[in-house]
Amino acid sequence: MAILEVKNLTHTYGGSSPFINDAVKNVSFCVEKGEIIGIIGHTGSGKSTLVQHLNGLLKPTEGEILFENTDIWENPKEIRKIRSKIGLVFQYPEYQLFEETVFADIAFGPKNMGLKDEELTACVNEICEIVGVKKEYLQKSPFDLSGGEKRRVAIAGVMAMKPQVIVFDEPTAGLDPKGREDVMQIIKDYRAATNATVIIISHSMEDMALLADKILVLSKGEVYKFGKVEEVFASAEELRKIGLNVPIVTRVFYELKKQGLDVKTDIFTVDSAAQYLKTLKEGKENA
Amino acid sequence: MLKDITFGQYFDSKSIIHRIDPRNKIILMILFIVFIFLSQNFFALLLACACVFSVILVSKVPLKMYLKNMKAILPVLIFTAIINLFYGEGGKVLLSFWFIEITTVGIYKSLFMALRILLLIFISSALTYTTTPNDLTDAIESLLSPLRFIGLGSAVHILAMMMSIALRFIPTLIEEAEKIMNAQKARGADLENGTLIERVKALIPILIPLLISSVRRAYELAEAMECRCYNGGEGKTRMKQMHLGLIDLGSCIAVVIMCSAIILCNILF
Repeated sequence: MAILEVKNLTHTYGGSSPFINDAVKNVSFCVEKGEIIGIIGHTGSGKSTLVQHLNGLLKPTEGEILFENTDIWENPKEIRKIRSKIGLVFQYPEYQLFEETVFADIAFGPKNMGLKDEELTACVNEICEIVGVKKEYLQKSPFDLSGGEKRRVAIAGVMAMKPQVIVFDEPTAGLDPKGREDVMQIIKDYRAATNATVIIISHSMEDMALLADKILVLSKGEVYKFGKVEEVFASAEELRKIGLNVPIVTRVFYELKKQGLDVKTDIFTVDSAAQYLKTLKEGKENA
Repeated sequence: MLKDITFGQYFDSKSIIHRIDPRNKIILMILFIVFIFLSQNFFALLLACACVFSVILVSKVPLKMYLKNMKAILPVLIFTAIINLFYGEGGKVLLSFWFIEITTVGIYKSLFMALRILLLIFISSALTYTTTPNDLTDAIESLLSPLRFIGLGSAVHILAMMMSIALRFIPTLIEEAEKIMNAQKARGADLENGTLIERVKALIPILIPLLISSVRRAYELAEAMECRCYNGGEGKTRMKQMHLGLIDLGSCIAVVIMCSAIILCNILF
């Protein structure tokens, strides 16, 4: 069942001013329950504008967004309820921390949903368990944490609302390799615990290959491609045309093929590359 | 919502007013304001009104932009008008209630005051629409430079630098505030509804991150400036030098004519 459906979405910035700009043009796609969708696109391709529509922060100029087959703007007064069902983690979410303690900051979202006392504590504890926020941090000030930990807490703050769909806008931007891995793990853990649907914007094709089921490619505000990871990465030339690329491992295999070796080019992760090379080697020994 | 604030926004319509030396422009604007308040009767104010509107016309900035600025100050305008309404003594009494008395003079006075404030806003918007913030601060620094003779030279420079930095970061802060607002809204924050106290409380999750990031930004900027050997105004030269020209002479003459005409109106009528 499609949990989220975007239909002919167009967003025009600036209204009647001279700076009219179609940030998103006639975008349509469908997200099935439990899928992980990656959104890639060049800077300024409308990724951030698109995801801000998904939880009603922006109102479409044209078109509609269906969540469980109902238009999210059907009842504008209830839009806050939608926001707790479709969570959105912004770029650099650590800049939204404000409470005195980590606990209070994570509790902000659920509190806005109307949870109180024990229910609230249970909710925060549960999410801390899932994303790995240490117990001893809960009474600390969020501003005393390291960059990576701050981001973990900020992401937990959105996850605490238990959204069925959670959208990340470049969740690993500005982090070191360890931090990136941690964030990826948090996303996987949350999904494993709640079976949520995940949408991720990222510039890292490697992360996309590791995580995503399907990829939506945006270019100049329009859908350039939407399909399974292997379908999208199969057309490296087309991706390069709009300033994107395929994962580095895939590029290696493309180069090998160009050099005359008979190899597959639908290898997107390091693990699958290792696996493939192993079978090639074994095949040679056997022959 | 926040994007509607146009304070200090430069509008590049390439009019003749844009080319007036910013120092000259500031002085002429001050003269304008002084004479708007010196206009004591209907004719003098009408004249000032006509002059302000011709400036608006010549500036080629759409009237809509000026009216937008007026909207922000409307509560103050109405408040002043109402206060003045009760302080007119003499004339025919139109309404009398307890100790409040509204007279014809009062109405006249309040309209007069409102119109003066309106003109004041229009003329100062004309300055900010036709001069970039950087030009403005450079001009202020240059105009205040005689203060160095009483040992305040570096203070003037620091003040001008602070102003240009503040102006430079207004759009950045607005953008940042919008981002934080969206992030908190995504966490279910309710900024639109609720009682006054609830709404003020709802601002805390926005103000604290904004404050923290401003402090962080200030440190970063200070470091970046020091890395480029900034050490105050001593011996600093400018890439863009300001020059007085024919346009400045012309605009001065026009303003002087306006001033004398207003004085004449005050005496004659």
